[in-house]
Amino acid sequence: MARRMSAVAALGLSLATWIVAPALARPVSYQGGWTVIEETNRQNTSVWVHYTLNPKLSLGARGEWDRPMDVMFTGGQATYLVNRWFGENYQGNLYAFAGAGVAEGINDNPADAEFASFAGVMADWETRRWFVSYTARGFDAGDIDASFAHRGKVGVAPYVGNTGDLHTWLMVEVDHRPDNEAPVGVTPMVRLFKGAALVELGWSVTDDQPLINFAYRF
Amino acid sequence: MFRTLMIASAFALAVPSVALAQDHGAHDHAAHDHGAHEMVGVEIPDQDDIREALAAGGSYVGVEVLGVVCDFCATAMNRTFSRRDEVAAVYVDLDTKTMSLVLKEGQNLDDATIGDLVERAGYKVSTITRPDLTEANDAS
Repeated sequence: MARRMSAVAALGLSLATWIVAPALARPVSYQGGWTVIEETNRQNTSVWVHYTLNPKLSLGARGEWDRPMDVMFTGGQATYLVNRWFGENYQGNLYAFAGAGVAEGINDNPADAEFASFAGVMADWETRRWFVSYTARGFDAGDIDASFAHRGKVGVAPYVGNTGDLHTWLMVEVDHRPDNEAPVGVTPMVRLFKGAALVELGWSVTDDQPLINFAYRF
Repeated sequence: MFRTLMIASAFALAVPSVALAQDHGAHDHAAHDHGAHEMVGVEIPDQDDIREALAAGGSYVGVEVLGVVCDFCATAMNRTFSRRDEVAAVYVDLDTKTMSLVLKEGQNLDDATIGDLVERAGYKVSTITRPDLTEANDAS
């Protein structure tokens, strides 16, 4: 009984600390486009593959590993572009996303598989020089736990490149996971992208963990 | 040790990318004759596939697009238009916010179709220009 309760608590705590958030780059791509995103931050490692059905909607499959808790989530995600604002020199986006799947313990975590679901919003605004984004997500694992987490990111391009150039951004991400032992994380990073490929390399100064993100748009 | 390597790698990648980008503006336009194209008030991008497609008898369409602020935006429009049989070449210039299309000889994409395709890529058309480059070529 005590072992089962501690397993449930471990699963609940780990699910509560997840940020299952849209990708670092364009969670909705061009119609007919495939996108592959890998993300590793101070807590999780995930892989997300999505297909854009139309300019407003993408559907995909996601796998996420909570490394400290050894919990694996696998499931699907839908992302909807609520609105996009256009200007000559800027673009703003508001997305809503939701997903569902199964979460279970792996390796030394004995937690049994449970149905899990999540929903959230993401907003971003960018010019060729400045970038800012915000993501918030709620997560529900049935009787185990429910949680909320969010993060913000700001960035500046030290130079403005043209099509086909290597683009560089200096960014800082601050995330807040209320149920985590260290609720606030700060991660400076460098974003590099060229053509259809994007890489982010950073280090969480609060958790002493690497950030390694990669995206490719087919 | 690993953290030191990560931070050093990040800066090692960032510094040369800044240096490379600072050379980007030094493109020598003097080596290229833009006279014919500038006569019709259109800046045709200096790209091999655009030049070759025009030389093969293609027709040029300039599309100013709103919201094009990054290379991913350019990739989206490039991929969307490259799939069309009518299109011989496409190039998106982030500086001028213009997508240059060269349609194959005898082919056409009307403004409504271009607007629809730009929206499918996730963006919005500002203006569409169809200069008659044959006049400028004859004059030169």
